[in-house]
Amino acid sequence: MPQLVTLKIERPGHRTVRLWIPVLLAVVLLSPVLLLALIGGIIACLMFDMRVFATIAGVGRFIGALPGSRFHIEQGRTALLLIIR
Amino acid sequence: MNEQRKAILDMLAEGKINATEAERLLTAIEPADTAPAADRKTGKKYLRLVVDYTENGEPGRVNIRVPVALLRAGVRLSALVPAQALEKANAEMAKSGVPFDLTQLKPNELEELVNHLDEVIVEVDSSEAQVRIYSE
Repeated sequence: MPQLVTLKIERPGHRTVRLWIPVLLAVVLLSPVLLLALIGGIIACLMFDMRVFATIAGVGRFIGALPGSRFHIEQGRTALLLIIR
Repeated sequence: MNEQRKAILDMLAEGKINATEAERLLTAIEPADTAPAADRKTGKKYLRLVVDYTENGEPGRVNIRVPVALLRAGVRLSALVPAQALEKANAEMAKSGVPFDLTQLKPNELEELVNHLDEVIVEVDSSEAQVRIYSE
């Protein structure tokens, strides 16, 4: 399960933005939205004849495998760095 | 021992499948979260994609590192996509001039591809961009 997401955005003429987002805290704060998303996902699974529990388990495994991912995109003096720990 | 694992071993014992098929089936049912930090099959932990390019005279770079376990989880997730969605995606890709049949991509074959990632190094050099894909 991801613990911390680090985001760094550099743009010319702007201050560098650095964000450290604790995933657990974000999940707790966004829990009402996540609950609605879960319900929407279940309805979508039922509409498209997908196995609900297998899909939820698959998405859980996918999220669980995210730590260690790193995305770094640079274009000239603009840069975006996203690290999932 | 869970029921799926027992059923596969029973089929192997009865000669309905061979050892290779049994190994593939056992791999397909094992949960991703039991994989150790360094991927047990590839021996590699991450897949790295590096693209160096120049656009409008400015140099650019894309550097993406994803865990092999994430690819494995994605492959398992893709097996759940309904056939009708794949057919719609095929139709849209064909309209865009990419005649690719997604229904022919089998999860077992993708799993094999992930298993052999440590042997794969892709390097594409052109005047505008350089692409490298490798595991580490």
